[in-house]
Amino acid sequence: MKKIMSRILLGASLLAISACTKIDNYPEPNASFEGRLIDKTTGQNFLTSTNSMQVKLEQISWSDTPTPQEIPSKIDGTFKDSKLFKGKYRVTPKGGAFWPILTPLEVNIDQGTKQDFELTPYLVIKNFTHTLTDNRDLILTFTIDAPIGAGMPRVSDVQPYINTTKFVGSDASIKEYSSDLKVTVDKEWNDMSPADKSFTITVPALLSGRIFFVRVGARVNDSYKSVNYSEIVEIKVP
Amino acid sequence: MKRYQLIITMLIAGMLFSCHKLDIKPKSILTSDVIFGGEGGIDAYMADIYRKLPIEDFTYRPGGRDGQSGFNLHHEWEHFWHSSAVTGESVGPYGGMDIGGGFGYWPYAEIRAVNNLMQELPKNSANFTDTRIKELTGEAYFCRAYFYFAMAKRYGGVPIIKTVQNYPEQSIEELQVHRDKEQDVWTFIGDDLDKAFELMPATSPRGRANKYAAAALKSRAMLYAGSIAKYGSVNFVAGEARTQGFVGIPATAANGFFTKAWDAAKLVEGHYSLYQKDADKVKNYADAFLDQTSPENILVRDYSIASNTAHSWDATFSPRYMTADGDSRSYPTLDFVQKFITLPITNADGTPRRFDKLEDLMAGLEPRLLATVYFPGASLRGYQFDTQRGLYTSFTGTAAAEVAKPADQRTNRKVSADENTLYEGKRISGITGIKPNGSPDKTTRTGFYVRKYIDYNRPQNQCGLFQSTQSWIELRYAEVLLNRAEAAAELGNTEDATTCINLLRTRAGATIAGSVSTNDVRLERNKELAFENHYWWDLKRWRTADIVLDNSKFRGLMPYYVFNEGKYIFLNEPEIYERNYFFDKKYYYEPIPGGELGKNPNLFPNNPNY
Repeated sequence: MKKIMSRILLGASLLAISACTKIDNYPEPNASFEGRLIDKTTGQNFLTSTNSMQVKLEQISWSDTPTPQEIPSKIDGTFKDSKLFKGKYRVTPKGGAFWPILTPLEVNIDQGTKQDFELTPYLVIKNFTHTLTDNRDLILTFTIDAPIGAGMPRVSDVQPYINTTKFVGSDASIKEYSSDLKVTVDKEWNDMSPADKSFTITVPALLSGRIFFVRVGARVNDSYKSVNYSEIVEIKVP
Repeated sequence: MKRYQLIITMLIAGMLFSCHKLDIKPKSILTSDVIFGGEGGIDAYMADIYRKLPIEDFTYRPGGRDGQSGFNLHHEWEHFWHSSAVTGESVGPYGGMDIGGGFGYWPYAEIRAVNNLMQELPKNSANFTDTRIKELTGEAYFCRAYFYFAMAKRYGGVPIIKTVQNYPEQSIEELQVHRDKEQDVWTFIGDDLDKAFELMPATSPRGRANKYAAAALKSRAMLYAGSIAKYGSVNFVAGEARTQGFVGIPATAANGFFTKAWDAAKLVEGHYSLYQKDADKVKNYADAFLDQTSPENILVRDYSIASNTAHSWDATFSPRYMTADGDSRSYPTLDFVQKFITLPITNADGTPRRFDKLEDLMAGLEPRLLATVYFPGASLRGYQFDTQRGLYTSFTGTAAAEVAKPADQRTNRKVSADENTLYEGKRISGITGIKPNGSPDKTTRTGFYVRKYIDYNRPQNQCGLFQSTQSWIELRYAEVLLNRAEAAAELGNTEDATTCINLLRTRAGATIAGSVSTNDVRLERNKELAFENHYWWDLKRWRTADIVLDNSKFRGLMPYYVFNEGKYIFLNEPEIYERNYFFDKKYYYEPIPGGELGKNPNLFPNNPNY
């Protein structure tokens, strides 16, 4: 009897082990996709921050109604994903403060696929200056301009963004030096006079002995309310 | 050895005789003939539908729980996962805009049950009088509208299903229905509620709806539709679903919806009234949420320990010091309190005003505010809220200058994570808070506690988890007045709006308004309906959430004891966790649940930016 029992056990365990021998024969995600998001007005990489722009991918070779996936843009305006399934994708940069891409690109993504995108920002920060006064107030002046004026979403606000690291932007800034100093605009672009487009913001009493990374930004009320940034400047407070 | 043989024989014998009679009627399932056989069956059927109505009551969890729906959760006690805690009405356990994407609410099974009721009732006319069939059909319309309302405010346009679908009798292709336009869904809700109003009786048993409940819900739903049309056409997220009308309503439809909202609210007039039983206006307002006989209550949901439905509001919104179990984690902000009044905590020269006792700050404040929020110094069940952020050995200078200093430069200030730490015999922090960041999360972060719905007469030893039984008031006349006032203000009928608002302000013990604007009505609504799960939806339908919650942080009222003077001061400081709240505009609509999109490609396009 014991023999029978152990044989039954052996048989059962053999069955258990040999089940599910079918190997996943789908190739691993070894395709990659990278590129730059370029500001059409300057030819340079788009000025952005972390957690702002993404490149949306929809794998149309897999499904007619694919679940979108996103590659977040790095703070330098480039993007890269090296673990994608090979196939045909509909690709749309989104999330940033630029005119929407109405005709998305279709790209066959394979190993080492590269694609750059040219984007037109809603607003451009110009004539950005910064002055640190003797009592450590930081005076920022700048003007805003729009490469395309017609059909612009309403201009919402401008504000400085200040942080202690070079990763400075809307989700990485010191509240008291940044969003507390927001200047509400809430105007249509075409109704704005040159004076409306020129700003002076004073950041009062920066802490002494610190280094701050400073930029300014402007927003329009589009679908994302993202920010068009200036370059980042480094301020050493004596 | 023999034993094995015996066991095997018995197993084989068992196999031969099993599965003999499976075709017997299960005793635990109500079959059609029982349900539609008389009042008893219908009552059981309706009870199930009502239980599943999307009522955002005490146990509602706006972000869902562990992937489940946020409604009808079994054994849910953490009521501080409250929608007010992402909007700045209060601050709570949420780290940010955690409820923006919803929990995939998709109540088509419940809608099928309602459609089934509508279809089966006329077939069973032998068992009910004609009047009764009419009444029940009206109730079915009311419930169906309720389910669609809960979906429309989340998703915009969803498929309108008016009949019972059957599978496999109907093909998959036939069952893969398309989304309807948002405007059509809201119109459908209004039509269903019109039929409900027409068919239902004027009175109903407790916990069930009557025709005025239908009118009240209609005033709410049509007001939502009107504001979505008016404000959603200005502040929106672009996308295919919007182009095709699945989200968004043309601005031209706004006034039609506002008119419907006003008309529906007007129908309720004369049948319900504001609760005004007690001359003490603070007590009166607190009791309005506790008195079961309140003439203000249009639709309530009851709870009991015996039926295993009791909730934990008392245990999870007051400090453990005053309850029998549980902890609190959501607290009203100073920003909310300051909607009523800028608290007189600072002198004209900028120095903090000195108070002999904590409770002196409450003198002269609006009774409704004191009945909505427990202030430092207030009392509950014989205990005082001894809320204290810290102690100053001495205090000089202005409040603003002190608050602006980095923590390490506030040298005269002492704080403590332990209420038993003393400075020369005086507590540094109170038993009811406020503890520094990093302490256990169970006392106030803002200086306040929620008072609305707190059953202050309930003995402390009965304030444990699953022991609270005060009813949830889903529809109350005050909201109907606010719906009417807002619709009136939107339609330019300032006089009617002012009349409604002043009814509320009189009851609240507030000053009477001369003439009100739309913004005044909104502010009144924020105050009157606080902590009732309205504000989140209001911010969404007004399309102001992305402005109010734009990397916003909220403030607290921090009481300190000034040791050398023997006085109290209050400072306006960031709430202890200094959390940041950011509303992404795509959250004006929730995404269509992924599982449903997988089953039915006709539900595409998904809402914009998902």
